[in-house]
Amino acid sequence: MSTGSSPNPADITALTTTGSSSSSVPAPVTSVPSTKPTAPLSGFSRQLADLPRAELEHLAEEYGLDGSDFKTPQHLIAALHERRQLIAAMDRDAMLDVIRWGRRPVTANASNELLAQQIAKIKTMRFAGLSQRGLAVLAQMRGLPVQGDEPVPHIVRKLKRQEGLFQKLNRKRRAMIGGWVSSLIGENDTQDYKFLPAAEAAKATTESKRSGTIKEEIEESGLLGGLTNRIKKSADSYVNQKLDEIEARIDRKLDEIDRRLAEWRDKEIANRLRILKITLWASVIVGAFSLIYSYIKVYFVAN
Amino acid sequence: MPDVDFFNFFRWTLGTVVTIYASIITAQSMAGWYTWLAGTDKHISMIRRYVIVHGLRLRFLTFWGDVLITILLCVAFMLLFRAHTIVNQIGESLHTNVHRIIAKSR
Repeated sequence: MSTGSSPNPADITALTTTGSSSSSVPAPVTSVPSTKPTAPLSGFSRQLADLPRAELEHLAEEYGLDGSDFKTPQHLIAALHERRQLIAAMDRDAMLDVIRWGRRPVTANASNELLAQQIAKIKTMRFAGLSQRGLAVLAQMRGLPVQGDEPVPHIVRKLKRQEGLFQKLNRKRRAMIGGWVSSLIGENDTQDYKFLPAAEAAKATTESKRSGTIKEEIEESGLLGGLTNRIKKSADSYVNQKLDEIEARIDRKLDEIDRRLAEWRDKEIANRLRILKITLWASVIVGAFSLIYSYIKVYFVAN
Repeated sequence: MPDVDFFNFFRWTLGTVVTIYASIITAQSMAGWYTWLAGTDKHISMIRRYVIVHGLRLRFLTFWGDVLITILLCVAFMLLFRAHTIVNQIGESLHTNVHRIIAKSR
């Protein structure tokens, strides 16, 4: 995925010394104002400057940038910097629209950056069902100069124009193969999309393709990729089912342990009370005997 | 020659030794538990909360019979202690008066 405009700052020093990006970085991809501050940008840029080229490209890919579009690491860092600012300024609800539409595995309370990284992984060119604001966010993440208030057909046209002829032909070919495969192995209905529960936040970034039909998956990822994803998904659901069973078994065991601990606690307290009672009985009996002894000694022996 | 009451001597010695021994053992045990449960480790913190929860779940009604008997025995012990003191005081005053009467009669 390539950005529409590659920033070419003179050098990286301006980025590393200041938190504001407007001084040395050329005009951003869109004109959306940066209303929210990102993480410490100078620190981020300084960390990026230490990274090797390969890691920078990998990071750029996560943010929806194509590392090969940038000649030098400095250019790539500036683009990453700019992309992070763009993400920080994005409408969160619009991003969640895209996530929901793209069926990405993230939690509803995930950060904007995480959402953006998941949006960058959505490669589909079928935009049906996506809201206008979501479409604008998707276009921005794909590097298109979108203001945010364009009508849907306009944004869709821009996105399709960005795709390129060969990519489009490849996609059509894959769609055709997908159609054959789906007619061979049959389709299955997809379930409604749900955000991951909060406890699964750690797994939120795990790779998982859009849960569409097999035809769509093959169209997006190719024959092998689509089939692999489908197999992986089946394996995932099997593993999830087994994990649920294991979890239920662990819960039962924990309840059993809790019940036994409560029984042990009651027995232990009863035992201690019995020991205390025996000691007190012994003390009282000896005390009574001693009282009688003292009485006899005082009234009879003394006389 | 000192007038030693062996029964009283045995009682006081035994009571003193056992009380000191029980106090030391109890204090040692409580200090050990406190040190262990006061740890800052995540798991210790969880166990601490679990122990508190178990303590709160404890029902008095499960042990109320034993607790009542223990309280009554404690009261009986206190009464006996008091009775001992009174009998000893009576004995001392009798002893003193008898000596005085004998001295007067001579």
